[in-house]
Amino acid sequence: MKNAFDIIKPYLIEKRFHLVAGLFCLLGVDVMQLCLPRVIKWAIDDLTVFGTDLAGLSVYALYMLGIGIMVGLFRYGWLLCFMTMARRVEEGIRNRLFKHIQTLSASYFRKTKTGDIMAHATNDIQQIRIAMGIGVVTMIDTFVMGTAAIVFMGYISVRLTLFALIPMPIIIFVSRFFGRKMHTMYVEVQKTFSDMTEVVRECFAGIRIIKAYNRESEAMAGMKAISDEYVGKNLRLVKITGSFSPLIDFLANLSVAIILCVGGWQTIKGEITPGDFVAFNSYLGLMIWPMRAIGSVTNTFQRGKASLDRIHAILQTQPEIADTPHATPVQTFSSIAFENAGFSYESGNWKLETGKRELKQGMTLGIIGPPGSGKTTLLNLLPRFSDVSTGRILIDGTDIRELKLHDLRSLISFMPQEPFLFAGTIRENIALGMTQTSGFSEPRKISPEQLIKAAEAAALYDTIKSFPDGFETLVGEKGIILSGGQKQRIALARTLIQKTPILILDDPVSQVDTETAGIIISAIRAQARSRTVIIVSHRISAVRFADEIITLKAGRISESGTHEQLMRHEGYYAKTFGLQQIEEELNAF
Amino acid sequence: MRFKSDYFEEEELGRVYDAKMLKRLWPFVRTYRLLLAAATLLVILITLTELSIPYISKVAIDSFIVPDVENSKQETGNSKIRYLKTGITDPEAEAIVRKYSELFTVKENYAIIPFGELSKLEKKDIAVLRKDDIRGVGMAALVFVFAVTLNFILKFIQIMIMEYAGQKAMYDLRVHLFSHIRSLSVSFFTRNPVGRLVTRVTNDIQNMQDIFASMIVFIFRDLFLIMGVAVVLLCMNWHLAMVSFAVIPLVLCSSLYFSRLARGMFRVMKIKTAEINTRFSETVGGIKIIQMFSQELKNFHEFKILNREQYMAGTGFVLILARFMRFMGFLDVFVIALMIFYGGAKVLDGSISLGELVAFLAYMRMFFGPIQDIAQKYNTMQNAMASAERIFLILDSREQLPVSSDLLSVSPYQNGITDIRMEDVCFSYVENEEVLKGIFFEIRAGETFAIVGPTGSGKTSLINLIIRFYDPVSGRVTINGQDIRHQDISALRSGMALVTQDPFLFSGSIRENIFPGDVHISEKEVESVLTASNCRAFIERLPKGLDTELSEGGSSVSSGERQLISIARAFARNPQLIILDEATSYIDSETEVKIQEALGNLMQNRTSLIVAHRLSTTRNADRIIVLHRGKIIESGNHEALMARRGFYYKLNLLQR
Repeated sequence: MKNAFDIIKPYLIEKRFHLVAGLFCLLGVDVMQLCLPRVIKWAIDDLTVFGTDLAGLSVYALYMLGIGIMVGLFRYGWLLCFMTMARRVEEGIRNRLFKHIQTLSASYFRKTKTGDIMAHATNDIQQIRIAMGIGVVTMIDTFVMGTAAIVFMGYISVRLTLFALIPMPIIIFVSRFFGRKMHTMYVEVQKTFSDMTEVVRECFAGIRIIKAYNRESEAMAGMKAISDEYVGKNLRLVKITGSFSPLIDFLANLSVAIILCVGGWQTIKGEITPGDFVAFNSYLGLMIWPMRAIGSVTNTFQRGKASLDRIHAILQTQPEIADTPHATPVQTFSSIAFENAGFSYESGNWKLETGKRELKQGMTLGIIGPPGSGKTTLLNLLPRFSDVSTGRILIDGTDIRELKLHDLRSLISFMPQEPFLFAGTIRENIALGMTQTSGFSEPRKISPEQLIKAAEAAALYDTIKSFPDGFETLVGEKGIILSGGQKQRIALARTLIQKTPILILDDPVSQVDTETAGIIISAIRAQARSRTVIIVSHRISAVRFADEIITLKAGRISESGTHEQLMRHEGYYAKTFGLQQIEEELNAF
Repeated sequence: MRFKSDYFEEEELGRVYDAKMLKRLWPFVRTYRLLLAAATLLVILITLTELSIPYISKVAIDSFIVPDVENSKQETGNSKIRYLKTGITDPEAEAIVRKYSELFTVKENYAIIPFGELSKLEKKDIAVLRKDDIRGVGMAALVFVFAVTLNFILKFIQIMIMEYAGQKAMYDLRVHLFSHIRSLSVSFFTRNPVGRLVTRVTNDIQNMQDIFASMIVFIFRDLFLIMGVAVVLLCMNWHLAMVSFAVIPLVLCSSLYFSRLARGMFRVMKIKTAEINTRFSETVGGIKIIQMFSQELKNFHEFKILNREQYMAGTGFVLILARFMRFMGFLDVFVIALMIFYGGAKVLDGSISLGELVAFLAYMRMFFGPIQDIAQKYNTMQNAMASAERIFLILDSREQLPVSSDLLSVSPYQNGITDIRMEDVCFSYVENEEVLKGIFFEIRAGETFAIVGPTGSGKTSLINLIIRFYDPVSGRVTINGQDIRHQDISALRSGMALVTQDPFLFSGSIRENIFPGDVHISEKEVESVLTASNCRAFIERLPKGLDTELSEGGSSVSSGERQLISIARAFARNPQLIILDEATSYIDSETEVKIQEALGNLMQNRTSLIVAHRLSTTRNADRIIVLHRGKIIESGNHEALMARRGFYYKLNLLQR
């Protein structure tokens, strides 16, 4: 997809019938509109020499009525065809954008703002639709009417026609010149619109903090600043568009002046009849309109093109993490091996290094470490949210980058540190992972027992029972109506209900009280032998049962071993255990 | 993943009158009324120049190209013949008349020749005969060019003024809307997805701007044109004019009818656009989960349905527009046919000249062009109106916390907090689902007050009431004995610092997050805040230090570090009341020890309210309440509660 226009092509091919029919109707309207002055000319010529009567006039009037009916019908046809096509382009590109965005990797979203994507999905695509609808129609119309008018005028007088076309080269030159300027400015205007969307979005998403910290005036100032910039960019653009279309009008009107002068002289000298002159003028009127339309067409197209380029840029972004051409399928596994797997952030000050270690099926790996030591980064490597920058991670001897991404992820249930809930019901959120295999068939049925079991394992069932709607409770955007602990437990239930061989839990008990944490940890332990578990926690109680525990410090593994081994080592683990032990003893007392 | 309940759904609207809507938009435009007046004046001038353009042509045709019939036609039997009249006092003209004496009829001091016979003359002879006409046409063309140039200049100025006023007015509306939404209470944000609100502030206002910018200009222009042309038409021939006006009521009725249909479609589209935005924002936010659980297809499928609904509404509008245009297209030609027939008859019986009819036809187009235009614009205006509706729906939302009529002028923090109390407070988010029931407690100045309890027991809600995100359903919250509802809300919050469960950081540098808007903060203060919050160590390790940019959601630093930043943010406010909501949950024990020390220092002479999971926090608290299902079931200090061997004691045992 080298060319931005290739984005539109498939939808034009799909709607080719509409395109052809629309074109036909548009031509129909144009032909009718060209016949109209012809009939008027006859009538006028007759009237000039008083060579007609009422009966003759009524014939002309009837002709015109016929033309009117046809004009109406054809207009209906092209509007329906072209506008439907444009709407289809809009729908298609939006679907494509959505689909594409879902394939992009986590690193892309670290750099891209949500508001920016939202602006692309609505504002930019709308501009493309306008260009594809009214823009294309006006362009075709301009071309057909312009050409036809020129031909008819040429039929009456070639010389006059050439005179009438004098401003044309200037119009073409001017619109190319202004068009280029407009394009650059539209790109900027749309970009500022994106930025503005993001500022607004961020403010509303963080409204609680803004209110609690009285940051309203700062938020307002930020909003005003970006709005100012937007208005400024728009006004700069208007200087171009605002001088452009009157200028085109002026040049088009110049044609009329030339014809009035030259044509008038020719009529006086008897080189053309007065009827010819009047007809020529009305054809000129037909040509003036397309000439003036060049202004609006240029404007609409440049705007649409600017937006199309922006969409193109997103669609051009290749997912950093994707299947290799010869990716191997995978269904089961017996061991995961880290071979000096390493990862570093562009802006980071340390590098994650795992060294050599192996995790056999059914084993549990516990990870602890201070904040920012690389625990979440390490967890992100296995489901390939990020790819290692050095070394390898192997599943049964195959580099995970050689495996089918979908298969690899199907092996894993992942619970991120911050629970993300979708704006649906609790049931939908828990059952999320169970509907994966096919998007279009009915989601696999989940029995109420399964649901209850998962909820119980996540110490959630009592809470759900206390809601009047139970599992059908709507949780709102990002689970807004729930407490942090409730969200976390729903996210946990979502992972526990899946029967994948690997379970990755990132701090699963950080937001729940100790009593609940105890229940959750024993539920995880119960699954530990049948599934391979990798668990990160700040609570020793959540990792102490692991077959191997590692401590991360600034990306490096500072110690590893079983609980007993680490206790003897007297490092970070032992110290932390000691601290938590003292806490508990103090509490117990 | 769906929005199906009416709880989260947007309101359906009944019939809304456009006039009312425009009236509500007026205040935003009023500021720029002078500019608008200037633009309107220019529109009048532009219209005049535009009207003069065909008139110049008419004069040129009638006076020079095809001279007026009245002066030159002669009755010859039954038929009328158009004659050219020429004076014979001029020797050159006289020579020509003599040359073709068989064609000319010589009268006293002039000669006439039928137009039909003119072609028999030599070209150069005609040029001589009609040299005045040729000069006249040249002059007319010059006047024409002048009018066109004037038109160009006026148009440019007018567009600039209009765009400026339009942009500014929409800017004001956007800022007003933004500021209004921002002032709404937290419960409003619970019901409205962020994507929807963003759509209103950005897309909908943009939409109105796009339409109004072109609309206001053209409607004014069209109206002036219509009125101007109507006057000209009436002056030229009121008979003909009245006949052509007969179709106007048809145009009016049909545009009203079609626009009402269009409105319905636009309404659907506005709602769908918001849903599309919401869906995009949700997908971006939950991308990891979607990818991890292989939800791409299902999510896409759901999006496709939504997108298709948008498409259907769009094509629905297209159909309405197409039908409308079919009707208008017919009407357009119908009027011309009527004129040819009726006007032609008038020419035949000599009551109007041919030039008049030609000009009349030209003006007719200028008359019906704008009428059609307005009718069509009225249709697309429904688009802007549908946006305006949505915007005013939000502006009408009065979901603010009530502002007390007798606000206290004294800030509770002026002389320090003496006590914070909850008196018989009951609270629920949704009717009949009580989250807090009959809460009584008192926090005295300087105390550390801890709340413990299982998740969902109402701890966060309790904090929400003290910050006044919500007002209690019954009972009251007081500071120094004064109901906080009588306090200015920002004054109330200015003395508090909140650290929430999920630290929300803004994009921007770490510095901006910790010290918002505080440009004049000394290095010493910065140092002390960073040290106190234990942020210094990790910030120093970052290459750009405090000026490290955080991306959206702060994902370029680890969540533990984000938590530390949010604590630093609280420290930087130097608050009198510290509220920690499960703030320590992401922090490992080692860091937490340091935090405890820092907190200890900071809490000196300050009051603090802590939602605690770790019992190490509660141990140091002066007082602890245990919440369970929205009720306080135990309270006292750690020792007292342990001695009670109740719920708190059991919680402690479990953590072992």
